[in-house]
Amino acid sequence: MSKRIETGNTACALAVLAAGIDYMAAYPITPQTTLSEKIANFAATGEFTGKYVLVESEHSAMSAVAAASAVGARTFTATSSQGLLHMHEILHYASGGRLPVVMANINRAVLAPWCLYADHQDSISQRDTGWLQLFCSNHQEIYDSVFLAYKVAEKVDIPVMISYDGFLLSHSLLPFETVDDSVIKQYLPDRDPAWRLHPDIGGNFSNVAMAAEYSAYRHRLADDTLKSLQIFRDSIKEYENLTGRKQPDLIEASGTENANVYLLSMGSMASEMELVATELTKQGINASALKLRLYRPFPSDELVNILPDGSTLIVLDRNIAYGHPGGVLYMEARSALYESDKKIRVLGGSVGLGGVDLTVSVLLNEVNRLLEVAKA
Amino acid sequence: MLELRIHGRGGTGVVTLADLLSKAALAAGKEAQALPFFGVERRGAVIRACFRISDTPILQRSMSYQPDIIALMHENMLPHARNEGFTEGEDGAVIIVNGKVPVEAEGTQWLVDAEQIARDHGLTFGWDAYINVPMAGAIAKVIGIPLESVESAVNVVFKGKNAASNLEAARDAYNTTTKVKGGA
Repeated sequence: MSKRIETGNTACALAVLAAGIDYMAAYPITPQTTLSEKIANFAATGEFTGKYVLVESEHSAMSAVAAASAVGARTFTATSSQGLLHMHEILHYASGGRLPVVMANINRAVLAPWCLYADHQDSISQRDTGWLQLFCSNHQEIYDSVFLAYKVAEKVDIPVMISYDGFLLSHSLLPFETVDDSVIKQYLPDRDPAWRLHPDIGGNFSNVAMAAEYSAYRHRLADDTLKSLQIFRDSIKEYENLTGRKQPDLIEASGTENANVYLLSMGSMASEMELVATELTKQGINASALKLRLYRPFPSDELVNILPDGSTLIVLDRNIAYGHPGGVLYMEARSALYESDKKIRVLGGSVGLGGVDLTVSVLLNEVNRLLEVAKA
Repeated sequence: MLELRIHGRGGTGVVTLADLLSKAALAAGKEAQALPFFGVERRGAVIRACFRISDTPILQRSMSYQPDIIALMHENMLPHARNEGFTEGEDGAVIIVNGKVPVEAEGTQWLVDAEQIARDHGLTFGWDAYINVPMAGAIAKVIGIPLESVESAVNVVFKGKNAASNLEAARDAYNTTTKVKGGA
């Protein structure tokens, strides 16, 4: 293990290098570009031993990695914003085909109007494509999530998207610890697919399905997505045991235990929220920050277990769930808590859209505004 | 935690400067974060970068609005620093400036002739001088990063024959950066 300080995109590239990728296809887009450049550079120097293909669009990038995954390769691609939207059609192909593709999405606002900065609308617009989705709040999580993503994807045969905020994480430098290749090899042996396309084996992929077959496939994907929650938990534990380094839980709580107010968020703002919880506690309101690491599937049990009866949950989203007040996490949290006997007041707001800078004071203002609403 | 904001122009190496400072801080056993702000991404355009250094992990993910120190890549960046809320005076931010004379602002300043140092060591591209390495030396001195840590960062970022001249430039700046009173 060694400690390094690099950009978030470099942290991701180093993990991709260590993960034993057979095939990568990508098309550059800000703020993803420096990630695909870095891996292209590793390919040029011979450090990246997989095949690197520069394609003409994101639609082609996702088509190429899906096809390579179908022949048994471990594949990677990366994109942002419009690039992810352009992939949308093939995202369904990858999940429907049960192909364990892993992709990094460097969160960026979607058009129109044109905007380059951090916003989660791109990722959350892919919510119902059947992809599993991890979010990161620092470079260590970016680095570690790459291995976790392959571990889970290849166990459940469902693709995984790792999201982290454009510029705030992709282009900022923060320290992180790398893991020795031998440890990664132990955690992530070569891919051993249950089936694959090969001329000697025969078989086909994505044939026409009649209603009953189609329906069965879809229900199986839905069930396996929910089952992946336990695979995530177990895989995080296994990584912890191998590396000796504590990993954040699917929902990581910091600050006061048995608090009165909980602050749920994901992405880079979840880190700054720890400081907001500290500020609130100083002001006499016992607060705890909850960092969501896994957005899809949503770890409902974790949320219900953390929150004490009678507490207040403030949910801040860097996205909007159009037609519903607030953002998607607000919606998920309310849905998760509905079945619980605990009485929890839940309030939500959308902040930081298009990269609006989320300082402690900006976040604190929004939290205080929502706490006033809760009182009223 | 100490917060620094760098004001410069595209093409003068502000991003590499942030990289150098981060790696020097890590070599000195500190926690650090460099957060460049990318605007129009054009040579000559006004740009800024934040740099935080701390003994404990840094949780902020936003830019610095009340930095302890501002570093001006050129004396004419002062109005841009003021636009971004720089407050001068004894309670305000300390200024580190590349120039021959202090800038017209109150409070403590540190002066380094980064451009001359860069030219002395042949760190030029056409008419432009690469002032980022001398500025890294100057900033490191002011914020208390040891020279050896700066040298180790330069060796990580620059390879081959470039390393030697950059090392010399960083050392020169480290040794010649001086504390002065603000200009009139």
